[in-house]
Amino acid sequence: MHIHNYEKIWLVLAMLLIVAFISTVAYGATAMGVDMISDDEETINPDALDEDQRFAEPRVEQVGENEYEAYVVALQFAFQPDPIEVPAGSTVTFYVTSRDVIHGFEVVGTNANVMVVPGEVSTFTVEFNEAGEYGVLCNEYCGDGHHVMEGSVVVVPEEEYDGGDQ
Amino acid sequence: MSTETAKKEIDHEDFDPKGTLALILLYFVILAILWIFMYFIEFLGNDLTVIG
Ligand SMILES: [Cu+2]
Repeated sequence: MHIHNYEKIWLVLAMLLIVAFISTVAYGATAMGVDMISDDEETINPDALDEDQRFAEPRVEQVGENEYEAYVVALQFAFQPDPIEVPAGSTVTFYVTSRDVIHGFEVVGTNANVMVVPGEVSTFTVEFNEAGEYGVLCNEYCGDGHHVMEGSVVVVPEEEYDGGDQ
Repeated sequence: MSTETAKKEIDHEDFDPKGTLALILLYFVILAILWIFMYFIEFLGNDLTVIG
């Protein structure tokens, strides 16, 4: 088979583009440490969150020097706790579950965005470097109050942090 | 009087579609720029990257 020289050029370019796409994603995953939302948590009973030691009382808990865990419950039509209070300069692992239907948990304007499925615990870790406030919204249609379902993450200066309890 | 117009046979390699090549190169450059913008600036530059 004879291939025209120009065709060779754009075949090679197309291959290069694919290789470049794959290698940038690999670069993000290795050098930048970008990870996936984990689903390897045990499943739980969404009707018995009251008896679950993590979700009976949705809260932020300190687990290390600058490490925190946030246990968040999504329900029609709110997030608990609200606001989710964490100190600046911390690494926070979110555990998010639903007690009724499928919701979303999106920290607005950021890459922190998970589906919240009843019975499943969506887990992800992020770093909060500076004080500030983020909105949180539900991005999975969950009922007639879906459009008002919102929460917030408040990042307070480290020295002002009081444990995050309301 | 002949009604036949002049005909020239050309070989596979004799015609170079320069316009097509230029278009494809332009698309390629646009794609590469958009990819760099989308991944490195919009995605990696967006704070709160999931790290675990
Ligand atoms: Cu919802």
